[in-house]
Amino acid sequence: MIFRIARSPEGRRITRYDDYNLSVTKGMTVLDVLFRIQDDIDPSLSFRYSCRGAVCGSCAMLIDRVPRLACRTPVETIKQATLRLREFPAIETAQLSELGDSVVIIEPLPVLPVLKDLVVDMSSFYQRFEEMKLWTDPEDGQEPRTQIPAELSRFDRYANCISCAICLAACPVCDSHTEFMGPAALAKAWRFYQDSRVMNRGRYLEVAKRREGAPMCELVMNCVKACPKDVAPGGAIREIKSTGQ
Amino acid sequence: MHDVVVIGAGLSGLRVAIELVDACDVAVVTKVHPLRSHSVAAQGGINAAFGPSDTWQAHAFDTVKGSDYLADQDVVELLAKDGPRAVIENERWGTAFSRTEDGRIAQRPFGGAGFPRTCYAADRTGHNLLHTTFEQATRKGVKFYNEWFATSLVKSGSGVCGLTALEIPSGEVHPISAKAVVIATGGYGRIYARSTNALINTGDGCALALDVGVPLKDMEFVQFHPTTLYGSNILISEAARGEGGLLFNSKDERFMKNYAPSAMELAPRDVVARAIQTEINEGRGFENAYVHLDIRHLGKDRIAERLPGIREISIHFADVDPVDRPIPIQPGQHYSMGGVDCDKNGTTVLKGLYSLGEAACMSVHGANRLGGNSLLETLVFGRIVGVAVKDYLKTTGRVEKSNLGGGLRRTTERMQALLSKGTGQSPSVIRSELCSMMNQYVGIFRDSQGLSIALNMIKSLQERSRKMTAGCTDSRFNYALIRALELQNMLQLAEVTAVSALAREESRGAHSRTDFPKRDDQRFLKHTVVTKTKGRLVVGYKPVNLGMFQVKEREY
Repeated sequence: MIFRIARSPEGRRITRYDDYNLSVTKGMTVLDVLFRIQDDIDPSLSFRYSCRGAVCGSCAMLIDRVPRLACRTPVETIKQATLRLREFPAIETAQLSELGDSVVIIEPLPVLPVLKDLVVDMSSFYQRFEEMKLWTDPEDGQEPRTQIPAELSRFDRYANCISCAICLAACPVCDSHTEFMGPAALAKAWRFYQDSRVMNRGRYLEVAKRREGAPMCELVMNCVKACPKDVAPGGAIREIKSTGQ
Repeated sequence: MHDVVVIGAGLSGLRVAIELVDACDVAVVTKVHPLRSHSVAAQGGINAAFGPSDTWQAHAFDTVKGSDYLADQDVVELLAKDGPRAVIENERWGTAFSRTEDGRIAQRPFGGAGFPRTCYAADRTGHNLLHTTFEQATRKGVKFYNEWFATSLVKSGSGVCGLTALEIPSGEVHPISAKAVVIATGGYGRIYARSTNALINTGDGCALALDVGVPLKDMEFVQFHPTTLYGSNILISEAARGEGGLLFNSKDERFMKNYAPSAMELAPRDVVARAIQTEINEGRGFENAYVHLDIRHLGKDRIAERLPGIREISIHFADVDPVDRPIPIQPGQHYSMGGVDCDKNGTTVLKGLYSLGEAACMSVHGANRLGGNSLLETLVFGRIVGVAVKDYLKTTGRVEKSNLGGGLRRTTERMQALLSKGTGQSPSVIRSELCSMMNQYVGIFRDSQGLSIALNMIKSLQERSRKMTAGCTDSRFNYALIRALELQNMLQLAEVTAVSALAREESRGAHSRTDFPKRDDQRFLKHTVVTKTKGRLVVGYKPVNLGMFQVKEREY
């Protein structure tokens, strides 16, 4: 199998693609492949990693033009997988068919600036959560609040977000409008708005309904298809759009 | 530059920083973004004895018995007493705890516990707690140095005066002065080939402490989790058994009846891990490598509600849907009971240096940690150590910075050697030899012969590592360099682990010596402390703080 990996030693733009020819064993993931390359072939290859179990959100990248977690993508599944994303230039798959089944293309997540090879600058992604104050403002108290399972089920899906930025990378609106808050932040705003324990819930809805928030979403739903944790941010955004103040 | 620098941004580091942020200038240095810390991978839950039918004393007793009586009982008392407060605090910050029908925080049974006292957020408890705690740290304005790798601690006289750290994005090494430094870097599980740990768990903080003369305590006590996914060794939570999951060997036998007839699958982890390994060793495993964890009888709905994460893991990483088929599992390294020697306030022998969480050994887990106690430890001692550091700051004056230059020079030299070009030893070869050797000779079962072989091999790997080069001279995001620096730390910690294990001629908790199969309170009811003096490791011992519970035989 040939892994054609985007290289960007200085960041900003991809300057070349390097081909690495590796024999793939059963169950081997893309992250395993990247470590094999870094360990035995080319130590200069840079990529982020941590848990290797699809829960830390470090290793999101484009694999055959689809944003995925490298640790949860077995090589043998890449060519069969289809997420049916609506395409835009960064995730265009048209040329892939010419490559055949023996070449896999690995690239940094689109939308965010490249820092080096497969490492992208996540700061604007993180910054959004801070600007929107996506946290609770706890009040002092000695007792746990009560919350029945039905209340929990209104938001626990959104609490599963691992902040991997795959939704952002899959989103054509994020690609063309850097000011758009993006699916992850909006889903998190909805998570707090839906949490029966939160006192000032209105502030999350208010921030999510700003011009650069939910109104910009075109309900393409690529985020729902691409999310590795089934968070379905697009569903939350649809709700935000239809919920009044 | 800062009053306090915390190294590590998992739950321990974040909780300390939250405690300190209103009182002083605190910064967190972390080699990955905080949300990528290994706390995120904790699954099953966090223990808290909410009354009225459960008590902190019962929690303390279970913890002490689980520890095979090696835990310091004054530390355990703090853990158990403060459990409910720590859980409530995080609930009030927003953690999405699973609930009972009437809206209370749900609790499930866990191994070695006499009461269902493990609070949980499905089987993603660590993920929920970490994200919530990080939100609060951000709200309170904690300063982070993300993707900075701590490379050394710097001393001035009898105290710490700061550290040096490598800024991964630029490749620059910075001196950072601080009146106090808190080590919260987690465990060192990655010295083992088969480990549930994140790839970043290389025990960097423990190695830094050892380097400045601070002892490491009880490093032979390495927890092997009974149920890790065959193939990748990703954790399959104890919650699977807490919810009713059963273990079967290849003879379709619930073999736990032969090892822990009353607790069965919910015996403590050391007991269950040994049982599984024995079944495999004696030919009753599958493919000589694993046994089955069966949760099919729970039904699809309950699995979806309580164990969605492990279902997802089994499907994606083993191609097994546990709704239809049993999960193939084997024991794997999971937790480091040992760590930086400190007391219940995190205080070490070096003035101004503190530690907590998995990086530390207070010791709250003794020879074997109970499930649900490590998340609790981070939040309880995060607050306590934060308070202790605040008190310490009141007694300190200006920090003496002159030694930072020397620290910077030493770090630069160490890096320069790894960055030199040439045909040095390959870090990846040394790493893979180290890790498989640790599993083979310093694993679940140990003996004098194997441990001696391990020590010799570690020495020779250390020797080879002196000629190691990273193979890449890039300044920016040089992960080959980071991994070589981590490997140096791992080689050091592997040696301490093996030395401590060889010296402890008894079996206690997770430390099982086939040549000394019995616990020996006469000789070894004490903590191992290993210090590095003039480049050599010196083994010593420290008494255990008893007092609350009498030392007894441990039966389940």
